[in-house]
Amino acid sequence: MAQAWELEHDAAVVVLGQDVGANGGVFRATAGLQARFGADRVQDTPLAEATIAGMSVGMATHGLKPVAEIQFMGFIYPALDQIINHMSRMRYRTRGRLTCPVVIRTPHGGGIHAPEHHSESMETLLCHIPGLRVVCPSTPARAYGLLLAAIRDPDPVMFLEPVRLYRAVRQEVPDDGRALPLDRCFVLRTGVDVTLVTWGAMTLETLRAAAELEGEGVTADVIDLATLSPIDADTILDSVAKTGRLVIVHEAARNVGLGAEIAAIVAEHGLYDLQAPIQRVAGYDTIMPLFRLEQDYIPSARRIIDAVRVTLAGP
Amino acid sequence: MSVFRLPDLGEGLAEAEILEWHVQPGQRVCADQPMVSVETAKAVVEVPVPYAGTVTALRAAVGDIVATGAPLIEFDAGTVVGTMPATVEEIAPAQPAADVADVAKASAEPVPRDRQTRLRAVPVARALANRLGLDLSGITGSGPAGLILLDDVIVHAGLRSAPAPRPSVIPSTPPDGAVPEALRGARRAMAHSMSASRDQVSGSTVCDDADLHAWRRQGDYMPRLIRAMGAACRVEPALNAWYDSVNQSRILCKHVDLAVAVDTPAGLIVPVLRDVQGQSLDALRSTMAAHKAAAHRRSSTPEELTQFTLMLSNFGTLAGRYGVPLVVPPAVAILGAGKVRQEAVVVGDAVVAHHRIPLSLSFDHRCVTGGEACRFLAAVIEDLEKLD
Amino acid sequence: MTIVAEFTIQRRQILDANAVLVAPLPRFAEDMGEIVKMYSAMTRVRVFDAKAVNLQRTGQLGTYPSSLGHEATHVGIGAAMQPEDVLAPVYREYGTQLWRGVTMREILAYWGGDERGNDFAVPRHDFAWCVPIATQALHAAGAAMAFKLRREPRCALAYIGDGGTSEGAFYEALNLAGARALPVVFVIVNNGWAISVPVAHQTNAQTLAQKAVAAGIPGIQVDGNDVLAVRDVVGEALETARHGGGPTLIEALTYRLSDHTTADDASRYRAEAEVKQAWAIEPMLRLREYIKRAGAWNDDRESALLQECSHEVDAAVSEYLSDEPQSTDAMFDTLFAQLPDHLHAQRATARRYTAKRGGPSS
Repeated sequence: MAQAWELEHDAAVVVLGQDVGANGGVFRATAGLQARFGADRVQDTPLAEATIAGMSVGMATHGLKPVAEIQFMGFIYPALDQIINHMSRMRYRTRGRLTCPVVIRTPHGGGIHAPEHHSESMETLLCHIPGLRVVCPSTPARAYGLLLAAIRDPDPVMFLEPVRLYRAVRQEVPDDGRALPLDRCFVLRTGVDVTLVTWGAMTLETLRAAAELEGEGVTADVIDLATLSPIDADTILDSVAKTGRLVIVHEAARNVGLGAEIAAIVAEHGLYDLQAPIQRVAGYDTIMPLFRLEQDYIPSARRIIDAVRVTLAGP
Repeated sequence: MSVFRLPDLGEGLAEAEILEWHVQPGQRVCADQPMVSVETAKAVVEVPVPYAGTVTALRAAVGDIVATGAPLIEFDAGTVVGTMPATVEEIAPAQPAADVADVAKASAEPVPRDRQTRLRAVPVARALANRLGLDLSGITGSGPAGLILLDDVIVHAGLRSAPAPRPSVIPSTPPDGAVPEALRGARRAMAHSMSASRDQVSGSTVCDDADLHAWRRQGDYMPRLIRAMGAACRVEPALNAWYDSVNQSRILCKHVDLAVAVDTPAGLIVPVLRDVQGQSLDALRSTMAAHKAAAHRRSSTPEELTQFTLMLSNFGTLAGRYGVPLVVPPAVAILGAGKVRQEAVVVGDAVVAHHRIPLSLSFDHRCVTGGEACRFLAAVIEDLEKLD
Repeated sequence: MTIVAEFTIQRRQILDANAVLVAPLPRFAEDMGEIVKMYSAMTRVRVFDAKAVNLQRTGQLGTYPSSLGHEATHVGIGAAMQPEDVLAPVYREYGTQLWRGVTMREILAYWGGDERGNDFAVPRHDFAWCVPIATQALHAAGAAMAFKLRREPRCALAYIGDGGTSEGAFYEALNLAGARALPVVFVIVNNGWAISVPVAHQTNAQTLAQKAVAAGIPGIQVDGNDVLAVRDVVGEALETARHGGGPTLIEALTYRLSDHTTADDASRYRAEAEVKQAWAIEPMLRLREYIKRAGAWNDDRESALLQECSHEVDAAVSEYLSDEPQSTDAMFDTLFAQLPDHLHAQRATARRYTAKRGGPSS
């Protein structure tokens, strides 16, 4: 919907990717767009991720606003050359002469019984790239508002769309063209005993855990990071100042996951507010398994609740 | 006169060998004409003349290996050649932030926030309070914004009467607005070696005097002191040693390489006289003079300042009687000589005036016994009291 | 068995190595003034290039890739393009860039380690130097897509080296350009060597131009040392593209007379005899001979031109050497349109710890 809105209101926007045209995208994210806006503005590209990213660089530096789709996060690697070497640094290396207002959308995470390589969460790789924004919405409504913001932003944005949300969550979203702010967390729930920071599809498990904990008299701030880079540290630090306890939840593997960066930020700026060590609930440092073991990999509400209990237990 | 230094000829090459010069001293040259062929690890490279002028000196000969950044050739020229910025290792460290607290504050750079806070305590303080069963809310925090520090918990628990003194740091703005001066060169080296002395050595000092009335002429004490120390090492070699505290071992050094403290305007410089045993007074005198002159000119080479086995500080040339000189590891002893003075001494039944020199021998008691130290000192005194 | 497709690759030349015309003169070449203009431009870049190498050798410039030997290809293409077209260079094509308005100072700044070199005053829309091999080919295709969608009579032109034709991005760009009939011209500068790897080791294809066949676009070879032929062939391809006729792949045959860069020593892997042979057919020789024979050039004019170029180069070098260095703020200020919050503190930290002495650091 956001893409339709921007295609309609901004003549520079061009949607491109594999199967986004007639097929409407493998997750139907671009359904109906080509019929409405034509094959010039909603383009099927050849099967080549480097092409999608590289031509987006060329288009964006010359007056267009490409909104490109990489079909699955597991296929983003050929595009990384263009993303890292050009897209993220075009403004910087030309001192502002050329800019790169590109959005690359890609499905993120697992949990839908997809084939191999279709369930990856590699946001850490992207967050480490200077000059690149990384956004990951947690509901259809926020996806709408954040995608509008991403398309309107003059700099490149990686827009990671949690696959579980395509199908698992139904939500009425008013098509009003209102963007949500980038670089800001969303507080989904408030409490005083523990801060839970998460993003993407893991907000589902996290909110479930928070609800169950409330039954035991433990209340939690649940914070949806939303923009994974740059991180809105203030919201997190304010919450930790109130609760004194922090649990970070992400589906991506633990080692060098984004949870490590958040933990470092809180250790640096909020150490004296902490009453217990920070806990991370994350995917194991193994390859994302095929779907038979998928549910054992993805952190459960149970694991989150146990982590909260550890922070409450004391030394 | 400008010196052109060997540039980095390719992404971090460290040196080059001079193969052939294409110019000579006295020659007028233009920019870009062939100047010298050098061989690097990668290739033979032709370095052109960087700017027009007259060659005044070649600073390296064919066959020499020149380090990147070392002088290559001198010109008599007006123009200045721009240079590529140095690599990170070559750049001297930037002036550090004036004050530790300043840096900590600046790196935190907190945006002012309205926060509803619980008790703020350093985690280790919190943990200790927990262990001791103390309620944090009853403890006053002495840190910024009431932050409870470890010392606060310790004092509150009565474990110590007052917080341990924190190391003092020069505040960032001294009252008269003076600017801190970073220690460099000799002063920096002294801070380093004296810190090592403090941290490692178990020092002890014994004092005595030598009676110099037998000397035909007073004065010129330095060579006699040096000779005396050399002689004493024969009697008691234990003070001419290196001690290794990690491996608990010592080396009794064969030669006496005596480091002699020289006070210069740039600070304390300690050149080393090699193998002083058996040298004549004249030889010692002239060697010492040369070292002293070099120290004042600040042209002592690194080899002249290291690897000593024993040390002498003749501070009496300025003032002072006895002192507690500091042993610099890995050596185990240092002799301090104070100001020679006429003193009343008892000889037989009479009180007479004799020239005497006060001596203070410090030694590292981990490695040297009191007996060894005193025998050494006695030997020094005996040699000093000899007719010369 | 039926043959369903065949291909032929032509090679074009107008002025051979002996300065003899072997094909009819194209329209632009009938104006001797135009040819002298191109000759002057080729001289200018050669003089600049030699100075740049010397600057590196005297520690005043970083690693620098020389364009020695490529003058005809580079200037021919510069002359063939329109100002409003977009150039996607690799990193050696100073002849084209100087023709299009990039300054010597900008070139020196970039290789001297200063990003401001990429901020061309003119032309604002050309791509900057591109080090990741062949990635620029896709950028050119993307720009061409923008022109096509906006129905502008503009073209993109991408350079690729012979080594670059082994990269995936090259094939992807050709393929995309062909599949979408994009107004883009790809020029392979086949100078014989990809650092130390000769073309014969790069591919089994008989020509590089025939890689166009796989993408379904026209491919053609040209004598890259013949500035007249280069300008003619590239000009033709640009006009085709400009009028909706789609992309072309051009292979310009020339020779890299210098080392790959100043960090390379080609004598380790190239025979002296081969290099000597290449010098015998280098582009300046034949063009100089041609304009001399035509009475449009002589030794006096040659010396005057060399002096003029020298002065221009010296002035540019002087400017470059006396340029104020960037402050540490430059690491932050053009990273995003608006600097995110967490970088404000980092920018302040960088200011405090600046490594420069006496450089501007607010």
